[in-house]
Amino acid sequence: MKFEALCQSGLGSSFMVQMNIQNLLKQENVKEDIQVDHSDIGSATPDQADYFFLDPTLETSAGNLPKDRLIILNSLVDPNELKEKVNAILDKEGIEHS
Amino acid sequence: MALDLLNKQTVQVVDGRDLTWQDAICKASQPLIDNGTVGNDYVDSMIDVVEEKGPYINIGPNIALAHARPSSSCKKIGLALMKTNHVVNLTDEKHPVTLWFVLAATDSNSHLGVIQKLSEVLMNGENVQRLLRATTVDEILRVFK
Repeated sequence: MKFEALCQSGLGSSFMVQMNIQNLLKQENVKEDIQVDHSDIGSATPDQADYFFLDPTLETSAGNLPKDRLIILNSLVDPNELKEKVNAILDKEGIEHS
Repeated sequence: MALDLLNKQTVQVVDGRDLTWQDAICKASQPLIDNGTVGNDYVDSMIDVVEEKGPYINIGPNIALAHARPSSSCKKIGLALMKTNHVVNLTDEKHPVTLWFVLAATDSNSHLGVIQKLSEVLMNGENVQRLLRATTVDEILRVFK
């Protein structure tokens, strides 16, 4: 399983999201090996990850990525929103978490 | 720690009533120009990228993290913060901002420690509320201590 955080430059906010996801997976005691990485939206390809995290301003630039694997984060610094959306994926994929 | 980059020289509180978002990014960046971290080119590219690509630097409610790709006019890692007491709309009214962070990066990796620390502070809702309520530089610096 691989998650990819995307932003316009692949430098700042996508890395922030990557770390926040990694911290959350730790908090949720996820044992499954989930890779989390970050990159810029321009270079993202559908086979690069199972789920892509991005902010609403990027949705239109994400045309080549499958919609059902896009997770839109309205705020990149809202722990509750992130938890809700990551846990929804974990549940859907049958991945154990606390 | 990495957030020592935020200090009395790099943090400002301004009224903000008459600022456009471009003015806000320029003004927030001024301390980094003054201390030799970035040149004017870097400020221009932070503005250009929003004009081209939209307000993606609006990373959370009332929070903007202005940054652009590392360039030759970026001499070292830098971080600055300007609080505007009045909201300035980043491109439109759907993106009201009062906390204007400016990040300067020299390559793809060296600034990651700064982002990590900044993210830890901003993921705590109470810290964000304290920043949004702050009206002085000292109050802001206390949040990052």
